[in-house]
Amino acid sequence: MTLTPLDELLLFSGVTVLVAMLLGRRLPAGWMVTILYGIQLLALMKMAPLGYGGEAISSALTFKVMGQTLSWRFDALSWYFALITLGSALLSSWYACGEWEQRFRQSGGNLWLFHFAMTLNVFSMLILLASGDLLSLFIGWELVSWAGFLLMAMAGGVATKAAMRYITYAMAGAMAIFGGIALVYVSAGSLQYEAILTAASQMSTAHLWMLVILFGAGFGIKMGLMPFHLWQAPAYAETPGPGSAFLGAISSRMGLFAILLVLVKLFGIVNIDSLKIPFTLIDARDLLAWIAVFTIIFPTFTAMKQNDARQLLAWHGIGQGGYMLLGLVVADAMGAAGGLLHVFNHATYQAALFMAVTAVIHRTGTADLNKLGGLVVRMPLTFMVLLVGIIGLAGLPPMNGFVSKWLVYRSLLNEGMPLLFVAAVIGTLGTILSVYKLIHNIFLGQLRVEHDKVKEAPWSMMIPMLILAAIIFITGLLPGIPLAWVASVQQAVGLPVPDYTLGGVESASGSLDMIWVIGVLFAGFGIGALIFYFAGGRSKRVHQLDNYAGGHFLTADVRYQYSDNFYAGLMHLIGGWYRGSFLWLEQSVKSLVEFLSLGMQGLYRRANAEFYLLSTALFVIAWVVI
Amino acid sequence: MMAPMELIIELILMPLVAFVVGMMMVLMMRRIAAKLQRRIGPPFFQPLYDIVKLHSKQTQISHGLIHDIGIVMAMGGYIAAETLLPVPGMTGIAEKGGIITLLYLMMIPSLGLALGVGQCANPNGSIGIARALTAMLAYDIPLVIVIFGVAYAAGTTNLVDIIAVQQAGGFETWGAVQMPVLAIAGLIAMHASLGKQPFEIYIAPAEIATGPMVEMSGKYLGGLFVMQCFQLYTTSVLYVSLFLGGGTTWFDFLLKSFLVLAIPVSIAYLFPRYRTEDLLRLMWKWPVMLGLIGVAFVL
Repeated sequence: MTLTPLDELLLFSGVTVLVAMLLGRRLPAGWMVTILYGIQLLALMKMAPLGYGGEAISSALTFKVMGQTLSWRFDALSWYFALITLGSALLSSWYACGEWEQRFRQSGGNLWLFHFAMTLNVFSMLILLASGDLLSLFIGWELVSWAGFLLMAMAGGVATKAAMRYITYAMAGAMAIFGGIALVYVSAGSLQYEAILTAASQMSTAHLWMLVILFGAGFGIKMGLMPFHLWQAPAYAETPGPGSAFLGAISSRMGLFAILLVLVKLFGIVNIDSLKIPFTLIDARDLLAWIAVFTIIFPTFTAMKQNDARQLLAWHGIGQGGYMLLGLVVADAMGAAGGLLHVFNHATYQAALFMAVTAVIHRTGTADLNKLGGLVVRMPLTFMVLLVGIIGLAGLPPMNGFVSKWLVYRSLLNEGMPLLFVAAVIGTLGTILSVYKLIHNIFLGQLRVEHDKVKEAPWSMMIPMLILAAIIFITGLLPGIPLAWVASVQQAVGLPVPDYTLGGVESASGSLDMIWVIGVLFAGFGIGALIFYFAGGRSKRVHQLDNYAGGHFLTADVRYQYSDNFYAGLMHLIGGWYRGSFLWLEQSVKSLVEFLSLGMQGLYRRANAEFYLLSTALFVIAWVVI
Repeated sequence: MMAPMELIIELILMPLVAFVVGMMMVLMMRRIAAKLQRRIGPPFFQPLYDIVKLHSKQTQISHGLIHDIGIVMAMGGYIAAETLLPVPGMTGIAEKGGIITLLYLMMIPSLGLALGVGQCANPNGSIGIARALTAMLAYDIPLVIVIFGVAYAAGTTNLVDIIAVQQAGGFETWGAVQMPVLAIAGLIAMHASLGKQPFEIYIAPAEIATGPMVEMSGKYLGGLFVMQCFQLYTTSVLYVSLFLGGGTTWFDFLLKSFLVLAIPVSIAYLFPRYRTEDLLRLMWKWPVMLGLIGVAFVL
């Protein structure tokens, strides 16, 4: 048996888990794990032709279980997601090494568990991405769910509660997926992708509907699609800093990967398009698109109301998932490219944002947006990283988030979908409001007295953040680099490919060239700076308390900062629309289950033999008669 | 393909023209206000005097580096945006970005201003920015509906093509004639985007001491003045390009731009100020409704 490059990658990943497990208690464990992630990334680079339309690579390892062949292989789709996974794992782990690690250990955190959970997450994700049939997909899916649980639950307290909620949702999703797989097996007679591909075109409408619902719900739970989104924000926010950067960057995208693989590649978006909802004008694809759009809007506006920086970011993570699904569901060349590109872009800025916020927590001890302010003068580099990150998140030029959102907008415009287009823009506008609140309440405004001696984040944390900021900018300037990978993914799953260039996209109905746009933007800034610095008089720097206060004098004990209920005027109008309907729904499902279990408990606690006998007899009679 | 030298000249000329025309628009705005208030109004060169005066003031208060950078971004963002806005005889890089990119580039100055004001550590300024962003959420929704309608009708996001489609058949093919409902919705949204009364919720001198401008002195205020020139120009020229067929000659181009701008400006000085939530309610009701009806006609 010869090892293929895929085997090498999985082997290295397994070794990383072992190293973390056996040597994780020693102090340099963090560095060792980080280096091992780097080696995994190199092993992935050996498969780089996959990202440029190369042939799929299979693993030498196959199993036969109950007549089913279990196999693993990597194609462009797996490679693209694996690249993001390993990249974010490498940088998050690097970020954790050094000062963060020491502080975490001093404050009673279990460093061994952290490294072990991280490596296990990466390993299980790679297994999932490499799955070569539905059975191995399911195994990978379960591994990812439980590994994620380990990382989310490790902080204890609130985190464990959030993780329990997550695993409840995940198990429900797994049931749905399992049901779907069983259904596929019944109709196709096999769990191999090729067999399903041929069977999908002959499936009845009812059958396909069932499968779309089961798989859509099962995978959608991982992505945090409405109405299954409630678990995600608390679970990600309470994970230890670098862990939440990693989870926020890639974890829920595994759901998108599975949707791409099963719904788009195997069932085919055209087949899904033919599923009409009776008595309405919409079909299953429209339904998915609207779910995506609601997933954009509601979590984004929930994020705006958060007072904890990590919660705010985690809620945005859910919302951005909506853009990815929206682009994929539109499924023309530009939309699909936008959705896929957004996976990469989102991973970069979300990781950077979580890291920046964690750096602030590291220095000040809080992420409460009402207890910070003015830190830009003490932590300018962290400010810069956060700024780059929020511009990416809000999808404004010159950062990479703009390109992917532009592609999604363009596809909605081309296809003539005004309501979806407007809804997507509402999401972006809400994001702008929300991220300004984030940067304002942490870094702008008045510096608090207790933060006067705060220092910049340590270099061990700074370097990974700066690398991410650089990636965010460079892939915004030259979106052609990731678009090449995206194009081969689109080929692999059978979607049309846009006509991309290094600087953007060429199209007869309006192109985009980021090199020019950004070049002109920076030239504009340059001229602005010339006017400002050379055409004007010399400015004098004053203390922050030297400020207009309506005739009063400001002293150091006066809190002169606007942070709470930041969008008061907006909330006057829309504040009443936050009804917590989904929380109510979740609660009612929970109450229903509790009620039923109470009833069941009453039944068997009684141990009333006559009653059991009677009810069984009645049941049997009823069955025989009917 | 354009000769590179020609392109560079265009890229320099377009913002310069925008600045000069923008100053004249500020002058027009002040003259209209004066007429309505039975004053004489300022002399022709007053906007230029103001900019020079503000930049050469002796007292220039800085609240830190981000305060400075905010002003630079506010000016620079618009300077860049002008190169994406075609004018008669010059297209700059309009074909490399398109209308969506232009719309997003126009948010960069606001973002810069928001950052700069934030560093001033004055709650009046921060409230002003919070209100300004809320106003943006209010008027951008009808605005993107309008832009969707126009771009879909023209079948392109390329502004040069959108203008060419309108000029193809003379007056009958103008956007405003083809899509009158959208044109009205666009005008309302444009008025709100200028931040003039009754939509000047984020300046509100009596409530929040001029909001974003509260800590701006000297060249900082001068920078904002320059930004306003660009803003007036960009908004009205964008409207002319979307609905009034752009310009074939400089004369009709400028005539249309000034006339379009005169409408909201004349209305502005007759009204007091809305509350924030009323602005939202108004924007999300009427122009959105009109915009959606307009889009329904286009589809």
